[in-house]
Amino acid sequence: MTGGQGGGEDAADASAPSTATAAGEPVDDAAVALVDARKTYQLGEPVHALDGVTIDVPRGSYTAVMGPSGSGKSTLMNLVGCLDTATSGRVFVDGADVGAMTDRERTRVRGEKVGFVFQTFNLMPRLTAVENVALPLVFRGVAKDERHERAADILERVGLGDRLEHAPNELSGGQRQRVAIARALVNDPALLLADEPTGNLDSETGANILDLFDDLKAEGNTLVMVTHERDVAERADRIVHLLDGQVERVESVADRPGRQHGDAPARAGDGGEGA
Amino acid sequence: MKFGTTVTMAWRAIRAHKLRSTLTTLGVVIGVAAVLTFVILGASLQAGVIGDVSPDDRENVYGWAAPPDTNGGPGAGAQPVFTPRDLAEIERQPAVAAAYGFQPVPTQTLSARNETIPRGSGVFATGPAYVDAEDVAEGRQFRAGEREAVLNPAAAALFEPNLTVGDVIEIQVPVVGSVNATVVGITADSQSRSPFEGFNPSPRVYLPTDPYVTDVTQADRTRFSLVVVEATSQGTVDAARDQALAYLNSSASDASGFGEEALELRLRTSLELLDQFQELFNVLQNFVVGVAAISLLVGSIGIANIMLVSVTERTREIGIMKAVGAQRRDILQLFIVEAVILGVVGSILGVALGLVAGYGAVELVGFEELVIPWEWGAIAVVVGIAVGVLAGLYPAYNASKTDPIDALRYE
Repeated sequence: MTGGQGGGEDAADASAPSTATAAGEPVDDAAVALVDARKTYQLGEPVHALDGVTIDVPRGSYTAVMGPSGSGKSTLMNLVGCLDTATSGRVFVDGADVGAMTDRERTRVRGEKVGFVFQTFNLMPRLTAVENVALPLVFRGVAKDERHERAADILERVGLGDRLEHAPNELSGGQRQRVAIARALVNDPALLLADEPTGNLDSETGANILDLFDDLKAEGNTLVMVTHERDVAERADRIVHLLDGQVERVESVADRPGRQHGDAPARAGDGGEGA
Repeated sequence: MKFGTTVTMAWRAIRAHKLRSTLTTLGVVIGVAAVLTFVILGASLQAGVIGDVSPDDRENVYGWAAPPDTNGGPGAGAQPVFTPRDLAEIERQPAVAAAYGFQPVPTQTLSARNETIPRGSGVFATGPAYVDAEDVAEGRQFRAGEREAVLNPAAAALFEPNLTVGDVIEIQVPVVGSVNATVVGITADSQSRSPFEGFNPSPRVYLPTDPYVTDVTQADRTRFSLVVVEATSQGTVDAARDQALAYLNSSASDASGFGEEALELRLRTSLELLDQFQELFNVLQNFVVGVAAISLLVGSIGIANIMLVSVTERTREIGIMKAVGAQRRDILQLFIVEAVILGVVGSILGVALGLVAGYGAVELVGFEELVIPWEWGAIAVVVGIAVGVLAGLYPAYNASKTDPIDALRYE
C-alpha cells in the first residue's frame, strides 16, 4: 500500500453506495465509473498496477488515457473491459458493479456492453469480415440470418460494404481495423474501448480511423482510447494522464478548429486525490 | 451459443488443418476397421458353419468314445467300442428314431465304366437314414444289406460323363480287395452332411455299413468308433442323447467296460458341437477386439495430443472469443465437439475401410456367404464419439480456463 488510504478504502468497500462517486453523482449517468480502484499483483513483492483510481466516463464522452509504460494503462483497460477484477475498490460498467459479478455475468457484460478495438486488430483469421463482425452475436445465440444482416449493416457503416466475404489476410491494415471496430459496435455497446487503435497503422490510415471515431462519438457512442501519442489523444474531449498506477491529472482538450465538444462535459472524478 | 453454430465452427477448424486432422483420425480408423474386418470374417465363417447344420442335422447326436484327456473336434481320439447290438438297443429308446455306425472306408481307387480314379478318402459306410430321403435329388436312399451307394454330385462328376443312377462303381479297398456297389441315388448338393465328414464340400460316396463293414469284420465282431443317433424330432434331441448315454453307460451295453482303458463316452448334439466351435471362435474374437481396443486407445491419445497442440496454437483466438463474450462453456463445447467430430469421422472412415477389408478377406478366404454384423458398425460410431469426448475433455477444459488477458497478448 502506498499512501494512507488503506482505511479509507475499506470504509468505501463496506458502505459502498451503488451510486457513489467521489463527487456523489449517481453512477447511472456514467458509462463507466471507477471508485478508488486498485489492482495489486503479487510478483515476489506486491506491485500496485493501479493504486486508487477514481474516474467517471459520462455517456457520449470521448476519453483518452495516456501514460508511460508501466503506468497502469493496460490494467485500467482490463478492469473497464471486464477482463479483470479490481483487488479493491469498485468498477461500474453501465451502472453495474463488475466486482460483484460471477465470471459468467462478467463475460456477458463484456460481450454485450463493451466493444474492444485492439492495436493488433485481433480478428479471427479463418472467418470472413462479416463473420468476424457477427462473432459477438454468435455467443448471444442470435440466429444466423440476423447475425449476417446486422454485421453487414455495420460493415456498410464503417465503409466496408464491399468487403463482406473477405478474409482478414485479404484486407489492408486500415480495413482490418474497421472490421474490428464494426465487431466492437455490433452489440451496440455502452462503451467502445480502444487500445492503441492506430499503433499498427500508417499516419494517413490512422487519421482515417480517428475520423471514424469522431463520427462514432458524434452518433452518441462513448469512447475510451488508450494511446501514447499526444496528437491522437488530442482528438478526445479530455485526456486522463496516468503515472505509477495513479491519475496524475485530467486535461480538458481545448477546442480545436472545426470541432465542438457537444454536450458531454469533460470531467473526471477527483481521481488525482491519491497523487 | 447454438449447437449447430458450434458444429460449423469446429468443422471449419478441422478443415483448416486437413492433413493433420486426417493423420489424427488414422488411429481410430485403423482400430475400428480392424474390429469390423475380423467381426465380418468371423460372422461369415460362423454363418458358413451354421448353414451346414441343416434342420434335420439338428435332430442328430454324434457319439464317440475317447480317452478322457483327449482334446479336439468331433470324433477326436475315437475308439471302436460300439457294437451293432448297442446301436439296435439305442434305436429302441423312445426318443430315438435311428442309430447307426459311421465308418470311413479306406480306399485307393474308384472305377466305373472302364474309368479309374485315385481316391483316398470320401467313402463312408453308414446307416440308410444318414442321407435323408428329401436330400436325394435323383433315385433313392441306399438300403441296408444291399450293395448300393448314394453319391453326391461332386463324386458323380469325377467321371466323364457324370455317373447316374444305375451305374456300378468298383471301390478298391486295401487288404480286402475290390467291392462293387450300384449307384441308387445322387444327393442334391455336395455339402458336408455331418461334422464327422469335415466342413467343406467335396466328393463323397455313401454306402450301407451292412454289408460293407459287417462283411469284412464279421457281424458279431464289428465295433464302430463313431455313431450317429437320430432323435424323433428336433425337440427330443436332448432326450435322445440322454437316453442313449444312459443305455451306453449301463452294464447292459457292449461299449461300457470294453477293454482295460477307461474311455469317456461323448455324445454331442450338433448344436453342442457348434457351441464348442463358437467358444473357440469367441476367444479369437475377444483377442482381436482387445488389440483393436489398444489401437483405439492410441488413437484417442493422438486426438488428445493434437487437441492440446490446437488449443495452444489458438490461444489468441480463444482470447478473442472470450473478449467478445464467449462463455467458458462455449469454448468447452467448441473443443469437445471438434474432438468428437475427429472421433466420429475416424470411426465412420474405419467402418467404410472395415467393410471393404472384410469383404476382401471373405472373398480371399473363400467363404460362400458375406455376413455384415451392422450392430458392430453402430458400436464403432459410439466408440468414436466416446473416444472423442474422452480425448477432448482435458484440452477443452484447458482452453475454457484460458485467461483472455494473457491470451490476447499471446503471440
